[in-house]
Parts: sequence; structure tokens; C-alpha cells
Amino acid sequence: MRLTRAALMPAEDPTIMTLFIQQLFNGLALGGVYCLAAIGLTLVFGVLRIPNLAHGALYMLGAYITYFFLTTVGVPYIAAIGIAAIMLFIVGVGLERLVFHPLRNSPHTHHMIAAVGAMFFFQALAQAIWGADFRRMDTPITGELRILGAEISAQRIVIIVTAVIVLALLALFIKRSIHGQTIEAIEQDRVGASLVGINPSMVSMLTLGLSALLATIAAGLVAPINLLSPTMGDALNLKVFAIIILGGLGSLPGAIVGGFALAIAETMTATYISSAVGEAVAFIVLVAVLAIKPNGLFTKAVQR
Amino acid sequence: MNSVSRSRRRRLSAAAVLGAIALTATACGGGGGSGEGDTVVIGYTGPLSGGGAAYGENVKIGLEMAIDDLNADGVEVDGNPVTLELKSLDDKYAPSTAASNAQRLADQDKAPVVVSPNAGAIKAIQQINSGRSNFLISAYTSDPAIVQADNPLTMMIPPNFESYAEEFSETAMEHGGKKLALLGTQSEYGQQWTKSIKDAWSEAGGKIGGDNSVDYATVSDFAGPVSKALSEKPDAIFVGGPSQPTALIMEEARKQGFKGSFLVMDQAKLDEMATVTKLDNLKNSVGVLPVSEYEDPGTEDFLKKFAEKAGEKKVPTSETALNYQGIAIIAKAMEAAGTTDDPEKIREAISEALPEVDDKYKVNGFPDEITEQGHLLNPNLEATFLNEDGKYTKVPIEQVSDDK
Repeated sequence: MRLTRAALMPAEDPTIMTLFIQQLFNGLALGGVYCLAAIGLTLVFGVLRIPNLAHGALYMLGAYITYFFLTTVGVPYIAAIGIAAIMLFIVGVGLERLVFHPLRNSPHTHHMIAAVGAMFFFQALAQAIWGADFRRMDTPITGELRILGAEISAQRIVIIVTAVIVLALLALFIKRSIHGQTIEAIEQDRVGASLVGINPSMVSMLTLGLSALLATIAAGLVAPINLLSPTMGDALNLKVFAIIILGGLGSLPGAIVGGFALAIAETMTATYISSAVGEAVAFIVLVAVLAIKPNGLFTKAVQR
Repeated sequence: MNSVSRSRRRRLSAAAVLGAIALTATACGGGGGSGEGDTVVIGYTGPLSGGGAAYGENVKIGLEMAIDDLNADGVEVDGNPVTLELKSLDDKYAPSTAASNAQRLADQDKAPVVVSPNAGAIKAIQQINSGRSNFLISAYTSDPAIVQADNPLTMMIPPNFESYAEEFSETAMEHGGKKLALLGTQSEYGQQWTKSIKDAWSEAGGKIGGDNSVDYATVSDFAGPVSKALSEKPDAIFVGGPSQPTALIMEEARKQGFKGSFLVMDQAKLDEMATVTKLDNLKNSVGVLPVSEYEDPGTEDFLKKFAEKAGEKKVPTSETALNYQGIAIIAKAMEAAGTTDDPEKIREAISEALPEVDDKYKVNGFPDEITEQGHLLNPNLEATFLNEDGKYTKVPIEQVSDDK
């Protein structure tokens, strides 16, 4: 008995390290996806002050449109994501115009009901067009990278890198461009922003369009390692809401930190405790944070 | 010009009104008997939207195919020609909705038979099917709890899933090794399977690692759970949930270097899995036998008709094939019982009807008896081992008793 254990020890040490690295990268990739999806949602909350419950459905629709262009039309992967993102931007603008804009002066519950309605509409639409079966989207990005002994698939590296690039571009857009600055202005003070000549309804359209665009990039990136189905947005919806509440509603850094924190917490608990706990950890962390900081980690200075 | 189009419009609207009246007449059917023969509604409540929609659709295709074929052949009950009609309602996998759907089908449409493809829903329907309203449940689930309930009006179609555990364990152990990792889905059914495999594996003298079950429907990336399961260096892995996510898990395990064998739960079908991943990733697995590998008298024609209906790309599964058989059995039982509206007599006539069913409806392991409790038994149940050459070899399965 003692002999076997002694023989096993040297073999086990690198395995523990490899497993950790493997799971760290898995967590980072998942975090990238969560982040991209969460940022859109938090932007919409900041500008329109509504929880867009149809966000997961936009993510799903983005995945299907990417799939359509990649598989049915046959354009290259990156271009397919790009075209889908632009189309979803238009869908987002349309959603604002047709659903949220007419309800702008009604009580908040109406927005939520309308968003749920939009969600069911998108799901039924996807099922009518693509059917209820799962679909698989293949990418040209194959192969594995060996990092410190762990096998990481190239797709996951692409997810992490793209997420970082997109987040950087987004930060640049919001901080440096006129259109981006109007988003931040409206977030900080809607009335004040209108007084200096910013058109709130233009900004609302831009924001919803942008959030759908970001969700599509997330969906296009994650689709190859998962499956497409009309209900694929449901699970993400729940987690993304947990993330933005954790990070502080409307806060961009909150969504980024929250996204990565939650994803890594999820993979690590699933690895070292159990999968069941991994699934629940998002909500355990959420409850814990809210108990200590009821407004989330990154509370906005101005809350209106 | 104007008058022509107006008269045409009038004619069209007249046709529409007539059509509507005709539709109402059929909908009221059952005892109606307008014109030639009676129309009997076969009720179906299953998930047609939401997460289970693909599964519910597969069942529905089988029902539609059976009803089309039976109507073409002609069903005659007590000397009268009978037309079967399918009426489907969506229950989104919710047992309470399924029960109210079933009630509605029985009361409004006078359906003598209601098909349901999910154990939870069937348990709910069993509360209402032999009391104030009477109807037979055509139950598509392999959970033996539904026959243990001693409901007099239940017909359970698929084999009891517990039958598979012993043979699966032995086959996987032979081709993999003694150490098993558990990576099934976290649904209620998945957990029942996990337990059944766990018991059989220990009994066969194997070792079991930690339980790594994950919810296949909510996990965005399977790499994490797979890495964790592989860190215990298993020789065999139990997987299973819907076919497509199961295929991704197996692909991920092979990518991360797993060389052992897989035990695949019956919910996942190896041939359907091969549509989302390379067959190479699926080799060295024991699972249920694909419909296309059956050699029953009607299988070949069934596969052709299925391809015409659902398209060449879609893989026929036992959800479609077994429900196709199920409706043929029920139609024959109606003929044997000489009634379309007495579910008790129809249920009683099933054992008499089984040998009478036309060969063309025998497609996926046809039963030759129905147990006292209402379980259809196929005498030659077989599973499959997908070997290193990508060939399906048959594995005979000995069926266990449905008793607890």
C-alpha cells in the first residue's frame, strides 16, 4: 500500500497543477463570454433603467444568425460573426423603437412584461425557422495549445483574446467618441444630458443596439464549443443578471470584474468541490455580496 | 372586372365558411359519425416548445406517421370504418400542464388514448385517467415507477431502463477497465440512471470516482467538468442526456486524451450523436441500438418514409419508432375490442392484438406480450457496442422485473 502511494506521488503532482491551469483557462474563456453578455445588459440598465429580460434571447438569435451565415451562406467565421453582430444591432434598435420606446412613460413592470414577451417571440421565431433540434456550429479554428502541460483548445484562446480586444474597444468608444460619451452622460444624468442637447431616444437606440451586438459576439464565440437551440439563452440570462447585480447595476467595471469572478468561481468550485455547488456558486456569491454591499461591488456614484 | 372579383371573393368566403363548419364537425367527432365512418381522436401532450421541443417533435412525427399509415390501410372497428386523427397540445414538459391537456383531450375531444412522453407528466395524468374520465395512457418513458403505480389504464412502451445497467457495466469494463467516472446529466431521469449504473458497476467489482454529474442544459462549456472527471484517471465514463450535448462531452473527453470506454444513457442515441461530432469520438461505447440497425420486417420501409417526412439529414430515433409501433398496437386493440370509446376494453384487448399487428408496423423491437401492469415486452431486447472500427455490434439485454 505504502509502496503504491509512493509510486503515485510524483505522477500526481504535475496532474494537480495541470488541472488547475486547465480550469483557469476554461474559467477565463467562460468569463470572456459572460463579460461580453453582461456589459450589454448593464449598459441597457444604465441608460434605459430597465432589466432587459430578452437579453438571452438576443444572444440566442445572434448565435443562430452567425450559424446561418457561416453554415448556410458559407462566409468565413469572423465575417459571419461580424454580419450577425450588425444585424443584431438593427434588431436591438428595432426592439427599442417598437417595444421599449412606446412604453417609456409607463410603469416599470410593463417593460419587464414586454421584455418577456419579446423573449418568447424570439424563441418561437428561432424554432419556426431553424427547428427545435440542437445545431452544431463548426469553426475553422481547431487544434490545441500546450500551456504548462495543459491542453487548451485554440477556440478558448480566441474567446479570451477577442473578449479582451472587444472590451478595450468598447471602453475606448465610451470614453473617447462623442456617441459613446452621450451614453455615459445619459447614464449619469438623463435630464442634465437632455439639457445640453443630447437626444435620449437616440442614445437608447444606440445602447440597445450595442448590447445586442455584444451579445452576438459572445454567442458567436461560444457557439462552437456548445450547441445552438432556441432556449440556449435561458441559462445565460440568469447568470448574466447575477453578474450585473453582483457588479452593481449599470456599472461597466462591475460587469467585467463580476463576469470573470463568477466564471472562475464557477469552474473552480466545480473542480474542487462539486459540479452541483459550481452551478449554485453564482447565486451563493450573489447573496453574500448583497448582504455586505447591497448595491453591488461597484456602486455608481450617482443613482437616480 | 370589379364584379368578377367580387363574386369570386363571395365564393371564396362561402368556401371558407363551409370549411370552418366542416372543421367544427370533425372536431366534435368521436360519437358524431358524420358521413362515412367515425373519427377517433388520439390525444398527445408533450413538449412542443421550450427546452424539450426537439424530443416532443420526434415523438409527434412517429404518431403522425403511424396515423397516416393506419388511415391509408383502413381501420375497421365493429364493422365501421374509423378514421384516426391526431390532436397535439404543448405542455412544455410541465406535469401540471400535461395533466390538464390530457383532461381536455379526453373531455372535449373524447380521446380514448392520450400519449405522453415524460415520466413526471405520466405520473400526473395517472391521477385523473381512471375516475371521472377514462382514457388509456400510451406512456413513452422507461421509468418503471409508472407501472409500479398499478394504474389499470397505462401502456408503457419502452423497456425498463434498469435492464441496461448490468450489461452496460460489463461491456464497458471489458473494453475500458475497472475505474468509472460519472458524468451524466443532472435531470431527475439522469440521476436515476446514474444510481442504477453505480449499483451495477460496484456489483461487477469496479471502482467509482466522485460524482461529476452536470446539468447538460445550463453548462456553457463542458471542458471544465470533463477535465475534472479525467483528473481521476478513469477507464470508463458514464455519460448521457440529450444526444447532442452528450456528443460534445465525449468529443471533449477524447480531445483531452481519454482512451477508455463510454457508457451512454438511453436518452442519447449514438447515430444521432454522430451528426454533431466525428464517429471517431464515439467509438468504444456501449449504448442503445440505433433504429437503423434493427432488422425487423418493417424497419426498412419505416426509414424510407421517415426520410421523406423529416428530411434525409434527420436521424430517426426510438422516440419516433416506438411511438409508431405503439399507435399501431392501439389501433389493432381497438379492432380486437370492437370499440373505440371504451379504454378498459381496449387495454384488455392489447395482448390479443399484439400478434395481429401487421409486419409493416414492426420496426424497433416489437413486443410479444404486455405484462399485468401494462408494460410491453420485447423478447429480444438488444443494445449495442460501437467498436473500434465504427461498427455497431449487438449486445443482448436481459430484462429486469418492473417490481421495486
